[in-house]
Amino acid sequence: MNNKLKFLILSMSIFMIACGDNDEDINPEVEAPATYIFERNGASTISFSGQTTRIQMGQELIDALMDFNISEEALLEMYANETASGADANPFSDEALNESTKSIRSKVATSTDFFSANTVEAATIKEAFASWIAAQVSEVFPNQNELAVAGTAGQIADGTSTRYVSAQGLEYNQAVNKGLIGALMLDQTLNNYLSTAVLDAGDNRALNDAATVEDDHNYTSMEHKWDEAYGYVYGTSADPTNPNATIGNDDSFLNKYIGRVAADTDFAGIAAEIWNAFKLGRAAIVAGDYDLRDEQATIIREQLSTVIAVRAVYYLQQGKNGIANGDMGGAFHDLSEGLGFVFSLQFTRQSNTVSPYLSKAEVDGFIDELLDESSNGFWGLSTETLENISTEIADKFDFTLAQAAE
Amino acid sequence: MKKLFFFLLLIAVFACGDDEGDQPTAPEDNFDRQAMLRNWADNIIVPAYTSFAEKTDDLKRATETFVADPSAANYTDLSAKWESAYSSFQDVSIFEIGKAEELSLTNNLNIYPTDIDDLTDNIISGGYNLELPSTIAIQGFPALDYLLFGIAEDQVAMLDFYQNDADAIKYLQYLSVLANRIDDLTQSVLSDWNDGFRDEFVENQGNSALASVDKLTNDFIFYYERHFRAGKIGIPAGVFSGDPLSGNVEAFYRQDLSKTLFNRAMDAVQNFFNGVHHQSATEGESMKTYIEYLEVEKDGESLAKVINDQFEVARNTTQELMDNFAEQVETDNVKMLTTYNQLQLNVVYLKVDMLQAFNINVDFVDADGD
Repeated sequence: MNNKLKFLILSMSIFMIACGDNDEDINPEVEAPATYIFERNGASTISFSGQTTRIQMGQELIDALMDFNISEEALLEMYANETASGADANPFSDEALNESTKSIRSKVATSTDFFSANTVEAATIKEAFASWIAAQVSEVFPNQNELAVAGTAGQIADGTSTRYVSAQGLEYNQAVNKGLIGALMLDQTLNNYLSTAVLDAGDNRALNDAATVEDDHNYTSMEHKWDEAYGYVYGTSADPTNPNATIGNDDSFLNKYIGRVAADTDFAGIAAEIWNAFKLGRAAIVAGDYDLRDEQATIIREQLSTVIAVRAVYYLQQGKNGIANGDMGGAFHDLSEGLGFVFSLQFTRQSNTVSPYLSKAEVDGFIDELLDESSNGFWGLSTETLENISTEIADKFDFTLAQAAE
Repeated sequence: MKKLFFFLLLIAVFACGDDEGDQPTAPEDNFDRQAMLRNWADNIIVPAYTSFAEKTDDLKRATETFVADPSAANYTDLSAKWESAYSSFQDVSIFEIGKAEELSLTNNLNIYPTDIDDLTDNIISGGYNLELPSTIAIQGFPALDYLLFGIAEDQVAMLDFYQNDADAIKYLQYLSVLANRIDDLTQSVLSDWNDGFRDEFVENQGNSALASVDKLTNDFIFYYERHFRAGKIGIPAGVFSGDPLSGNVEAFYRQDLSKTLFNRAMDAVQNFFNGVHHQSATEGESMKTYIEYLEVEKDGESLAKVINDQFEVARNTTQELMDNFAEQVETDNVKMLTTYNQLQLNVVYLKVDMLQAFNINVDFVDADGD
């Protein structure tokens, strides 16, 4: 055979084999593990203790808001984990929380994507929680044994439960509880820890590619950031490696409402979708496949934003039904939760944008309608207003009002 | 060709024109809903409230007598009047509509277990306001149950307490307040029925969520699920809590009355379903006759027969139960669970099959605790 021909055949062979092998080496099929377990050298690389701590602080705070003997000072210390002058405080009954340097307040409205260049708005949001807390003490506590009527704070019956509402029918504790879901858990997850600005900060990619771990830890910075997002959702799960076994029962925040929405047949697979995206994204980080990672982040943003919106619509609709039936106590409880979820809508995240599904201005507009002082807030709310707000919210998402309303 | 085209077009328009989508429409049956409402109001509900109001008045008087003179004889009479009123209450607890709904009658008269600590604090400190929703667990028949049968070991100790204890006056005062409130609320409800609500109820014969048939049917099912099935059997048997809760039975302190009250309620439930007149054997228009009119079947039989048969099965299981449900829970809870399971079966027939047949939507949400 001609030498040139042999050389040609040889080069082509080498070329084809080399090219074929290249594809497989660079992009092996990334698979998510069955459980959220990731290890390096036989030890776990997962850590989200700060997130667990904040969820626990949140739980103590919302419980304390129903303690009629507690002071405003003590509640605000729980919110900030420091005194009014910035000194160390020990407001929690769990000593571990008192010893922590973490706080709820320091992470409210502080995501990189939404608030790093928006500190004025961030301050307003942090202050909103402080105002609700203060109002609970100054307005609702003194009227513990009064019957609530339009314009007067007090008790109102909701079936066999007793609700404690403001002069406008709002349960401040519900506003704080459901509002924190957006301002703390959701914002930190969607707009901070899943953000490329955070995941890819500094040398994170190079370090992750080289599997270079942080000092005194077993994880790369990128792995850790992703796990911190995971922690805001599953940080107090009975078994964080398999959280969907008890989803909905593990906290009073984001975890709870994923469970609630997943129990609605219209949204049956949502808990699995969210968790699978977390797992696959984390596996993608280990495999160095950053496009796959970001695809999972997109899924998480879309699905968690949907959870918030579905609950907002659900509670507004339940409130609407309560008002139509004359069950004001039941209605006010639903509307208080609804208001918290409406507030949280400003922290949702539309895929491929740096925007929420509803702007702060739109959300503030809804809240002004719900708490219109001239008609004593919830006392004077019409079913039409609630229907309109519900529709406006549902229209921004892929689900219908009917799907969320049941 | 053109003619054929237009003809087909017309057909298409007419065929599709009436499609209203999947909104439930009013039933087009000709069942006389108003006759049913009249039977309910005139032959069942108002007579039941009238009887009950007589008993609450008797209870109030017997309480006043005992408060003025806490003797053994007056105590015995008060106990009897309490039992009589509590039994009669089982006949009306289903009808939480109109004034009863507005006043939350059942929640003010029969929330148990009583919160003993809260009750005691309130009695000692005075200044309580029983209109507050936060006080439903320290008033009504269950609170009287505790005060008459629970605060001392036996009748001798009880009388000694009311005659000689330093705080006796406060407790007696509270007995009076409770009995008066039960009677006041009841008389308000009865008056409302007699002064106009009966007509309003019967006239509201439409088919919407706020129509009388829709509302009262929902009230009936809510009562059956929550106060009857869960309250009397399921909660004490631990169905909703993992561990049995013998302290959560009705008439816990009286000890031997829970089964009697249960049976009375069982009768009230089944009689209402069948349109049986109060304290009579006459049957009138009811859910049963409505089901029969619609010819609704379940597994080859009339749904009404299936439901009634299931009531009988449940009733038969209760023959195995002791008079004291607390003791039953403690000694052999399986029997409570057996009764619960049989009661539960009718929840499906009533809440799913029957409501669907009547084109009524459920108007209460099984509370998920936020």
